[in-house]
Amino acid sequence: MTDFRALIRLLVENNVDFIVVGGAAATVHGSARLTSDLDVVYGRTSENIQRIVEALRSIQPYLRGAPPGLPFDWSAQTIQNGLNFTLTTTLGALDLLGEIVGGGGYKDLLRHTIEVEVAGVSCKCLNLERLIVVKRAAGRPKDLEVIAELEQILGEKRPDQA
Amino acid sequence: MHAMQTDRDQLNRATGVDAVIEVYKKDVDVTLIRANLRLSVDERLQQLMRLQEFAEELQRARRKAR
Repeated sequence: MTDFRALIRLLVENNVDFIVVGGAAATVHGSARLTSDLDVVYGRTSENIQRIVEALRSIQPYLRGAPPGLPFDWSAQTIQNGLNFTLTTTLGALDLLGEIVGGGGYKDLLRHTIEVEVAGVSCKCLNLERLIVVKRAAGRPKDLEVIAELEQILGEKRPDQA
Repeated sequence: MHAMQTDRDQLNRATGVDAVIEVYKKDVDVTLIRANLRLSVDERLQQLMRLQEFAEELQRARRKAR
C-alpha cells in the first residue's frame, strides 16, 4: 500500500517544491477511482533536487520494476541526469516527474495549482481544470474513463456549467 | 505549448474521443462523487488508502485460492 499522506508530509516537511498530479490529484478533487502511486511534478533547481535526495533517503528509493541488486545511486547527480523516475519506497510507489505531457514542468504548472491540507500540512495540487487538460493531452485510452469522471466532478462543482 | 494543445484538441474531436468520453459519463456514479465531495481532502486520501488496502487483500486472497 502507498501511504500517500506520509509521502506528502515527508516532502512538505523537507521543503521540497512539488505539485501533486495524476490519480492522487483526481482523488483530491473527489474521484472515486483507485490509484496505487503518488505522482508529483518536482522543481528542477539544484537546491530542490538536493532537498528531494535528503527527504527520500530514509525511505530507500529504488527504481520500480528494476531487478533486485541493480546498482542505483540515489543522488542529486542521478536526478539531475534524468527527468522522470518511477520509484518504490518503504512508504509505497512514488513517481517523481520533471515534466508531464500537456502541462510542462513545475514552473509551468504553478499557476494551475490549489493549496490543500493533507495530514496536517499544506501542499500544492494541480487544479481540476488543468488535470483534465493534462489527461486529455496524454491521449491514453485508459484515461478516457478518468476524464469522463473528472468532467462530471467539474459539473458537480459548477452546476451552472454542467 | 498552446498550439500543440489546440492541435490535440482538434485531433480529439476528429477521432471521436469526445464522443467516447460522453458515453463513459453516462456510467459515472455521481452519488459516489457527491459523497466524496462532502469529505475533506485528507479524508478522501485516507479513503483511497483503505480502498487500496482492500484491493491488495483481495489480490492476496485470489493468489491463496489458486
